[in-house]
Amino acid sequence: MSDNMTRRDLLGKVGKGAVLLAFGGGAAHLIRKADGQIVWQVDAAKCINSRLGEVGVEACNLCTTDCVVSQSAVRAVNEYSKCGRCYICPAYYQVKSAVDEQGLPSEKLCPRDAIERKLIGESDPEDPANNFYEYIVDEAKCDGCGKCVMGCKEPLGLGSIQLKVRHNLCVDCNRCAIANVCPKDALAQLPAEDALEFMDLKSLT
Amino acid sequence: MTPGETRREHHHPLRRVLLLLALPILLSLVIAGDLSGQAIQYERPVEVAPQEEDIGGGYVTPDVQKPKPRSYWLEILDVILLAIAMGVSVWLVLSRRSRKWLLVLTVACLGYFGFYRKGCICPIGSIQNVAVSLADPQYSIPIVVTAVFFLPLLVAVFFGRAFCGGVCPLGAIQELVVLKPVQVPNKLERALGLLKYVYLGLALWLAIAPSPERDFIICRFDPFVGFFRRTGFAHMLYIGGGFLLLGMFVGRPYCRYLCPYGALLEWCTRLARRGVTITPNKELDCGLCAEACPYGAIEDMRAVRPKCLYCARCYAACPREGPLAKQKVS
Repeated sequence: MSDNMTRRDLLGKVGKGAVLLAFGGGAAHLIRKADGQIVWQVDAAKCINSRLGEVGVEACNLCTTDCVVSQSAVRAVNEYSKCGRCYICPAYYQVKSAVDEQGLPSEKLCPRDAIERKLIGESDPEDPANNFYEYIVDEAKCDGCGKCVMGCKEPLGLGSIQLKVRHNLCVDCNRCAIANVCPKDALAQLPAEDALEFMDLKSLT
Repeated sequence: MTPGETRREHHHPLRRVLLLLALPILLSLVIAGDLSGQAIQYERPVEVAPQEEDIGGGYVTPDVQKPKPRSYWLEILDVILLAIAMGVSVWLVLSRRSRKWLLVLTVACLGYFGFYRKGCICPIGSIQNVAVSLADPQYSIPIVVTAVFFLPLLVAVFFGRAFCGGVCPLGAIQELVVLKPVQVPNKLERALGLLKYVYLGLALWLAIAPSPERDFIICRFDPFVGFFRRTGFAHMLYIGGGFLLLGMFVGRPYCRYLCPYGALLEWCTRLARRGVTITPNKELDCGLCAEACPYGAIEDMRAVRPKCLYCARCYAACPREGPLAKQKVS
């Protein structure tokens, strides 16, 4: 009986040692190739709404419909330094709509009216078409439907508006639900520091 | 156009033929016009973005908001809290044998790891990341995830499933709804218990699949994460609600039959020398502990450690342990 017990003890010890060794080895291997913090981000060069050459299609709104957060963590972001500050912004106005009495399109593009248009800089009240306008996305209203991103894309606009994962809203799903459905595989996991410099993501491919 | 003119046009036979011929052309023009459809001929007025000096009037380009993710140090703190919580769980169950304090820990961990951290950090889901990271040279995971995956297994190798008792938020939410648990017949219990291996295998298979097919089903079909986030897909919320309803009568069904991490913990626990014990020289053979165990983890008056979920109900029900014993003394 006691012989049996010691054999069992020995087996247990060997087993435990083997398992601990395997854990250590596995952990060491994983740590050696470890990243820092990684987050999800939209790659603008792949996203249908901002990718060049994808014209004449309806804006893709899977970021709106498939995010696990009820109002998607993906929002439209205007990089102001790249914005044309146009009088008639193709992301703000539905440029195909009828012209109103001021010569501006009568309909807005955003279904949630999330973009604010503001006169900026040195302005000439006589010639509104020659002035500059700032377009500010109200992120509390935006749900990342991508219509304005599609509108701002070259050649209509300069492509200053892009869809971006907002890291304060993203719940960091292990596998992003949008990534599961994105037809262009445009959601990527990146080191946090790269993902923050998001407008340069075009070079990351 | 006056009515007279129209009538004259109408009466002219050649005009009528011409009009008929022109109609398809006109129609196609209208359709084409509809397609291009622009009320104004829109053309981008600028080639490059005007900068501050072009805009003038003291204009300053506003900064683009770049909200940062949760600080990495806070994520490391989460791992430390996980380790502490497991330590407390081991101490409360094995040393204090206190069901009451374990419940306090359960509620605290459900609040923090569940509702505050929204179900992540999660060792259960990390199985997939670890698997992909081992299989795919392109994929790597943060050290935090490696730690979250290995810590509960390490604890299990020495002390059993302390993570399941009071620490895991998925377990905790089920632990708190156990109302009138039935004893599941042994054969059925064993058969259902195999499901988690199937689930684990499937999850590993889909996780290590190359990118377009890659899918993390453990996370996608996490039944309770929707409650923690207080938002989620309707079907998952219903499934989660179903598990909680079932959990009133079958103790912790997700943990016992589906949890793929539970499968790993079971095997690690087989190596543990310490764990919940029915002490031979103190026992009364009264069977109150087996009756109290909602998870079928006491068989033939002995604790089956791989199945023990560290809830300490057996100690609470024991006449020679916990509150009952203290009552006798006083």
